[in-house]
Amino acid sequence: MAEAPLVEIRDLSLRYATARGKVQALDRVSLSLGRGSAMGLVGESGSGKSSLVLAMLGLLGKGAEISAEGVQFDGQDLLTTAAALRGRRIGMVFQDPAAALNPGMTIGFQIAEPLIQHRHMPERDALARAVALLTEVGVPRAESVARSYPHQLSGGMKQRAVIATALACEPELLLLDEPTTALDVTVEAQILDLLDRLRRQRGVSLLLVSHNLGIVDRLCDSVTVLYAGRVVEQGGTDAILGAPRHPYTRGLLAALPQADEGKLSRLTPIPGGLPDLTIPDPGCNFRARCAFAVDACVHPQPVTGVGGHMVRCHRAEAVRTLPLPVDTGARSITRKPDLARPLLQGTELSRTFRMGGALSFDFRKGLPRIVPATEVVAVDNVSFHVGRGEVLGLVGESGCGKSTLGRLALRLLAASAGRISLDGKAVPASPDREFRRRAQIVFQNPDSSLNPRHTVAQALRWPVVRFGIAKGAAADREVDRLLELVRLPPTYRSRYPHQMSGGEKQRIGIARALASRPDFLVCDEAVSALDVSVQAAVLNLLADLRDELGLAYLFISHDIGVIAHVADRIAVMYRGAIVEQGDAAQVLAPPYHPYTEALLSSVPLVGSKSRSLHRVRLAGDASAVPPAGGCRFAPRCPRHMGSICDTVEPPVRLGAEGHQIACHQPMEALAAIPPALGRVA
Amino acid sequence: MSAAIAMPAWRRLPLGLTLGGTIVAIVLVLAVIGPWIVPYEPDAFSMRERLHPPSAAHWFGTDEFGRDVFSRVLAGAHYSLIMGFGATGISLAIGVPLGMVAAFHRGWVDEAIMRGVDLMISIPPVLLGLLILATTEPGVAKTVISVGIVYVPIMTRLSRAVALGLLAEDFVDAARARGDGAIRILWREILPNAWPPIIVETALRITFAILLGSALSFLGLGTQPPASEWGLMIAEGRPFIEEAPWIALAPGLCLCLLLIMVNMVGEGLRDLLDPRLQGRGHG
Repeated sequence: MAEAPLVEIRDLSLRYATARGKVQALDRVSLSLGRGSAMGLVGESGSGKSSLVLAMLGLLGKGAEISAEGVQFDGQDLLTTAAALRGRRIGMVFQDPAAALNPGMTIGFQIAEPLIQHRHMPERDALARAVALLTEVGVPRAESVARSYPHQLSGGMKQRAVIATALACEPELLLLDEPTTALDVTVEAQILDLLDRLRRQRGVSLLLVSHNLGIVDRLCDSVTVLYAGRVVEQGGTDAILGAPRHPYTRGLLAALPQADEGKLSRLTPIPGGLPDLTIPDPGCNFRARCAFAVDACVHPQPVTGVGGHMVRCHRAEAVRTLPLPVDTGARSITRKPDLARPLLQGTELSRTFRMGGALSFDFRKGLPRIVPATEVVAVDNVSFHVGRGEVLGLVGESGCGKSTLGRLALRLLAASAGRISLDGKAVPASPDREFRRRAQIVFQNPDSSLNPRHTVAQALRWPVVRFGIAKGAAADREVDRLLELVRLPPTYRSRYPHQMSGGEKQRIGIARALASRPDFLVCDEAVSALDVSVQAAVLNLLADLRDELGLAYLFISHDIGVIAHVADRIAVMYRGAIVEQGDAAQVLAPPYHPYTEALLSSVPLVGSKSRSLHRVRLAGDASAVPPAGGCRFAPRCPRHMGSICDTVEPPVRLGAEGHQIACHQPMEALAAIPPALGRVA
Repeated sequence: MSAAIAMPAWRRLPLGLTLGGTIVAIVLVLAVIGPWIVPYEPDAFSMRERLHPPSAAHWFGTDEFGRDVFSRVLAGAHYSLIMGFGATGISLAIGVPLGMVAAFHRGWVDEAIMRGVDLMISIPPVLLGLLILATTEPGVAKTVISVGIVYVPIMTRLSRAVALGLLAEDFVDAARARGDGAIRILWREILPNAWPPIIVETALRITFAILLGSALSFLGLGTQPPASEWGLMIAEGRPFIEEAPWIALAPGLCLCLLLIMVNMVGEGLRDLLDPRLQGRGHG
């Protein structure tokens, strides 16, 4: 680029004082960002990407030591002028829009506030400008939205309002810290489109922090990969994501389950965890986890490269053609799922939740009246079945009822209506011990799923004893066997949850579920809280356990990539109902339910830029209330057929081999939809 | 069972626990052996030695009847300890199970327990203590029971709130998925995690119980004169606060010291019982 870059960071280092000593959060990070360009900052949790953003904004707390050759913003020293620049020439958007907005102020005023504060604009003009900004970021009926409070808006609308606030003073740079991580995938696609449009129309530069490589690929033209505070690879997006050269970047891409790759046999996890940042390693700090490490890696590594593609690895060229080692695991037996008779079957399950107390006061019509509570149907007349050794993937956006369905299937929540049967035998509302033994659950959050006061041995031993599998010394041996099953050494017996990493905790959660020797597991977002390298290892483990033990999974996830990777069959849920169900390959290819089509085309895929995909964007989000009696997807449906969709419940159309789609469109029309993923699984 | 207590963590005792525990232990020992080691008869009048300031003969001076304040403080220590620990023990024993059961069962059980608690909490503690005591003959045991009952609502509310938060954790759902019953879930999953806030509250409650017990004594509805309960002594020393401040100051400072040390023990115990504060196993 001929002109001077907008942002130029040279050798920025950052150290935090913590209870365990000084932590080297950033180690001589350099990057430059031109006007109107977009850079992605990627890395796993703990890599220092958020610290870098906070350092640029001057928002690091006390106890942070910054040193740098230079941090320039348009020729000014950012380290001394950040307070004057942020909010004016630098806008920022953080991850959680709910936390970024003040619940006590109207949206309009929050957008107008920087104009009043920084530009001394009269309040009336500032509010008018706020409405114009809301319109620009794609908010319909901007005047009424400007007068509403944050709690009256959905997550996507809130994030649009935050972006409008950041844009108020016409900044030249937007810092985006995981701007779509808290949002559903169809809403995320809308926000990404918006950011892309803003960049083109306003020429604003973007610095996007994300753990999601697909988003970076969609939005950015250059990428900086951070590992443990150091830049390991830097260059154009296509070069880095298309032909990564640092072993870490290659590992990240190999560990990523992609929706368009379908059911791969194995992912490639990156072994180990982050190095101890209190003792910075002068050599390559990735070498402990690197498959290609040699003795010379202990020496400091410079960042070198040609054509703007910089790599911090002296072996990048030498190992470029070598494949990453494959995690072979214990693939001794490959069981075919027995689909003849279902293991667990749920029939016409429903669950309603009451909002608030049974009776409440309504003050809306003058005198207070006692009104019965409103009810929300979380799961509405859903039928599903899971075969022996089969993985049923349940995918849908937040609030669609997928977790509720998982809990209904285990009788952890009482169903309002419907039946559950295991091996053809009905399961009563309070099931017997045998059902409890055979059906278990793995949770999303490894911090919440283990009792912090129990050691691993205590957590694993109790279910073994409770279900009469072993007693005394035999139970201790069983604990060792369980640890071995989840690939952890027996020394972990005496560990408390806080002494383990997220991936290790998740393994213990899995081991605890396996302790009763179940044959059905509900995995409720079991890998969603993990970094991609760890996620790959846990997904491989779950696949191995299924092969070894013949387990069946109800695998709940919002991540279509993960679902496509693990599932034999997929069920797509929308607002409490399953709208499409069938074999994984059937669901991921036309004919689609219009919602499935939108969901799949919203997924940011690495490498999708080169393919000209047809993109379907949904308006609004899943809170759009459907008309009574009609199709629940009708208000957002891009293939809306007219009044029939609003008034008549859609029929279930049957495709090949049990493929079911609930839609008024005939199967032929649905089959004519072009594939939403670039290549068909 | 509290699994956490059996941890190999004794080498890392928090400083507050060591210091506070030592002093509370000394006070405990003195309270037990006090009546035998006092230099003077605590209740013996000596009109010639009225209102003497502290000296080698009378470490804490003498009061308006010439009684040795040091002996009286020593002889009265056990009242405060019985009041503090006994009353708090009673409120713990009733309040914690009530709160846990209310949190676990929700619904009408919760409503019934918590509305009853609301009813009790709406009456000021001193008034409630007075109500209980006024209907019966005053005495130490009755004071302890009354103060204990007065603090039941606070313990119930606290343990319910703590349990409600913990019951939303996934490990409780894991226990439910095993079919564990209410008692087992409360005992094994909830109670060990609920201790830290309850212990801190208990330490605070002990101090309040001692003070409330003293207040009731002052009102004539607890320990009766001439017993040397500390609160009673402070009340009796009040008229002489200008000419002989040591009469009220000596038991007052002892009370202060005891309360601070009990609090330190509470906080130290909380840290000790938290496995997260024992350093990490790796890294």
